Amino acid sequence: MIGNDIVDFQVATQQSNWQRRGWLQKIYTGVEQHYILTSENPETLIWKFWSMKEATYKAHQRRFGFSPRYNPKSFECTLKNKVNVDSEQYDLNVQVFKYYVHSIAFTSKVSYTTAVYKNEREIYTKIKEKIAEEFDISTVSIVKDKNRIPVICINKENTTIPVSLTHHGDYTAFVFQKSK
Amino acid sequence: MNKEELLSKLKAIITPYVQNEEGLKNLNIHTDFIKDLEINSANLVDVVLDVEDEFDIEIDNESMEKMLTVEASIAIIESKLQEK
Repeated sequence: MIGNDIVDFQVATQQSNWQRRGWLQKIYTGVEQHYILTSENPETLIWKFWSMKEATYKAHQRRFGFSPRYNPKSFECTLKNKVNVDSEQYDLNVQVFKYYVHSIAFTSKVSYTTAVYKNEREIYTKIKEKIAEEFDISTVSIVKDKNRIPVICINKENTTIPVSLTHHGDYTAFVFQKSK
Repeated sequence: MNKEELLSKLKAIITPYVQNEEGLKNLNIHTDFIKDLEINSANLVDVVLDVEDEFDIEIDNESMEKMLTVEASIAIIESKLQEK
């Protein structure tokens, strides 16, 4: 199972005031708050952890078929890029750059393909082309299930491949699963 | 406080975070904050904090988990107001 999330730092700073009373406490566990508040750059860690939680939420929801819920505090990040939730642990690949952070959550032994785009036009067409190329087929479509979880459909067959899409500010990214 | 008053207070709270104005025009009990209003998921916590301030109530984690629609939010606010 896979999930990914991207945060555009500039937009996040405009959209959220993390110093607002109660804000950190609603989203982050005591341990996470400690890491954040003792960090040299709290804001970067806040958004890194946030993207790790969101990416893991997507993988976890897909895996167990939950209906949508808003429980960021149930997902606890470690400094070693792992996230624990409901006695499950996910590995994360996290890339922190100057302008954005991109996190990919996955269960063990999964291989995947990912890409990040900046200010790209017709981004979803490009993503579908990339997927079609990967599987060496002509066209693919992306459909969403009742929980709004996207999957790739190949040639209208019932074969479905997990795909996760994320967009924030100037950035868009995707990850899709290649094998179990 | 009746449902209409509650809905109008809730509407005022969520408005600054809405990214899909069309969804706001059609606001109703079934409106989904993320799907219909495109509220950024990091801003849902601001909605929760604003609701706490406006109604002077405390939203615990279990309730926050469900605050993804107008309907669920109103039910939570009503039950927390009753507990007061």
